[in-house]
Amino acid sequence: MAEPSTPLRTIFHVDMDAFFVSVEELYDPSLKGKPVVVGGQRDERGVVSAASYAARKFGVHSAMPLRTAAKLCPQAIFVNGHMDRYRDYSQKAHAVLRNFSPLVEMASIDEAYLDLTGTERLHGPPLKAAHALHAAMKDQTQLNCSVGIGTSRLVAKVASAQAKPNGVLWVVPGMEASLLAPLKVGAIPGVGKVMEKNLHALGIECVGDLAKLDERFLEERFGKWGLALAGKSRGEDAGGWFDTSVGEETDPKSISHEHTYNEDTANSEQLEATLMKLSEMVCRRLREHHLYARTVQLKLRDEKFNTITRAHTLAAPTQIDAEIYEAIRTLFRKNWKPGTKVRLLGVQTSSFEEGEGQMNLLDNTKHDKWKQALSTADKLRDKFGEGAVGMASGLKSGFREKTQENPAERKK
Amino acid sequence: MPVETLAATGAATMEITLSKFELLKELTATQGVVERKTTIPILSNYLFEAAGDTLSLTATDLDLSLRTSCAAKVKKEGSCTIPARKLYDYVKLLPDGDISIKLLENHWIQIRCGRSNTKMVGMARANFPTLPVFPTAGVISIPAKVLRAMIGRTIFAIANEESRYTLNGALMVLKPESITMVATDGHRLAHVERPGEKFEGISGELKTLVPKKAMNELRILLDATDAEHIEFAKDESTLFFRIGQRLLTSRQLTGQFPNYEAVLPKDNNKSITVRRSEFSSAIQRVAQFADERSGAIKMRLEKNELKISSSSTETGESEDSLETTYDGDLVTMGFNSAYLLDFLKAAGADQVRLEFKDSQSAGQLRPEESEDYKYRYIVMPMRI
Repeated sequence: MAEPSTPLRTIFHVDMDAFFVSVEELYDPSLKGKPVVVGGQRDERGVVSAASYAARKFGVHSAMPLRTAAKLCPQAIFVNGHMDRYRDYSQKAHAVLRNFSPLVEMASIDEAYLDLTGTERLHGPPLKAAHALHAAMKDQTQLNCSVGIGTSRLVAKVASAQAKPNGVLWVVPGMEASLLAPLKVGAIPGVGKVMEKNLHALGIECVGDLAKLDERFLEERFGKWGLALAGKSRGEDAGGWFDTSVGEETDPKSISHEHTYNEDTANSEQLEATLMKLSEMVCRRLREHHLYARTVQLKLRDEKFNTITRAHTLAAPTQIDAEIYEAIRTLFRKNWKPGTKVRLLGVQTSSFEEGEGQMNLLDNTKHDKWKQALSTADKLRDKFGEGAVGMASGLKSGFREKTQENPAERKK
Repeated sequence: MPVETLAATGAATMEITLSKFELLKELTATQGVVERKTTIPILSNYLFEAAGDTLSLTATDLDLSLRTSCAAKVKKEGSCTIPARKLYDYVKLLPDGDISIKLLENHWIQIRCGRSNTKMVGMARANFPTLPVFPTAGVISIPAKVLRAMIGRTIFAIANEESRYTLNGALMVLKPESITMVATDGHRLAHVERPGEKFEGISGELKTLVPKKAMNELRILLDATDAEHIEFAKDESTLFFRIGQRLLTSRQLTGQFPNYEAVLPKDNNKSITVRRSEFSSAIQRVAQFADERSGAIKMRLEKNELKISSSSTETGESEDSLETTYDGDLVTMGFNSAYLLDFLKAAGADQVRLEFKDSQSAGQLRPEESEDYKYRYIVMPMRI
């Protein structure tokens, strides 16, 4: 519980409403108000990235297979995702938020936390600030958002979910527990399917049930996580990344990209091209975060849904596409039996370091040329979008970048 | 029935008796070559061939093969295959004495020793891969001691990155009067030359890329032999090393070993000499507090002093200093401590010399005493 001496914090959770769909609507206004599914075509493999509110009424939600969505809502309009557009608008939204507080943390592409503690003299009381933010967002990005305000990230996040769509909800300090009590335990960020099941087994359905329990009981039952749960049930930030302050830099632990084929393939040229493309995407993000990866991991799922992951530790950390790709390709060739049809490929990097450290004895010049070329390529991508440049061998993969809109939306 | 007739009718037989001690010695020597993964089941088996008064054992993982033999009383000549790991584990547990091995029907093998009686499931001999045959010409004799010393001074610098194919072995260069071995992983390079040897049958130079796996096996075989010389030969695809009664063959690495001569430092204008044991102990102590992944340590040269230091946000910081004669500019260089220790362990001299230029250029380490081997170790610094 917060120390009495610490002033209560004012945390905003700003969540863009149906972000991907809304951005698509800006490019094609005829989509407005219609059931829209973003992520691919109705007969394609892969999953829904986002669904409009009209489509959600039919039970369509993100992360659902596209074909299932087509069955639930046959009249829906299916559009391919445009990651570059979303990134672009995400940056615009970020700029709006930065005008309100320097402590902004983008939790994902379409949601952010802001710490507005102590800004009353500048922005007025929380509700006034929220309305100003809401209006500024609409004005500068033409997009709707919902704002939740609370004394913790947790409460702010729950509040924004309740405020949706296009609303503002302020949970007055002291009212946290009563806001949370009627909610299902699964609504608490960090409580996944497994935890939810474990809690249900104990007869705990709502957050209120959880709050009534003795902390020590939860600790004995679930360890540290149990203590965090107890705190969460009272509306405190506890456990996991909720521990950090808003805006505090938390570097990712791993960076990965995956691709599911529309049709399973055993074409080695296409498979390796996909790995090239995925390596390129991963390295682009490594460079954005100024990180060098020492561990690379291949994920391979075949047509029978057998999934394997194989990792390799490099002699020196890198953020160079060709070096990551070489290691991934070696893993792939060792672990893929030619002729086996592949459904999904993934490239993951981890064990990050902040510099490459070790200098090269042999191919310094080659290494340096790559670095220069990639920095130029990144600048082109910043300017003209992700598709602007790429490795020739990656082009054969012929796939679009896909991503999930904040998957937590499923719970709402 | 005469053996030839049996072979002609296709009925397989083999029956031998041999000493447990002799068999176990050869089983132990060949374990490293047996394929561990069971992707191709026959490769986890030995090929046993009995003829005359000898049992030949062969193991292979397709990259490497090792053929060895031991004395045996052969009742019936013939051949069979036996699961290698199982046989080794079982024979180890048998009491000392004679073991008799007999091929039964369906590739089963009976193993008896004293009051123990076991039948093992073997596989058809016909499935065992055909192995390359030792060439009759172009055989070069190399002193076992020299080869062992050269492997020990280079093997650790071979790349572990499988994607860097041509760095997965050491380059062996034979000339009429010298032998040289070079290995690099792209960050450091070990180079050792032994002049003053005589190699018959070589004109000009003979360059061979020896895979790391073969280097490893070779080292084990050389450690276990009393033979003064080994025989080396190669054909288009295979390398052959005969050490006593054991024959190691290895698939050749194809491709071009990098042009290492271009990276040997030529303008290192500063140097220090330190006692190897003191240098090594200081680095080991300091490295305890280096970043765990990179192993980075700092070496700072001041007047007549070498300061070695490290720091890590997780464990703390540490410094050691060594007295040395130095009067040059202040220089601070970063190095991977593991790379330095590899050399210091292999060098085997009282004093070592470090030659360097600045924090961006390759440093060179060598034993100070000129021993019978010209040994140099080039290592790139780390950015710190």
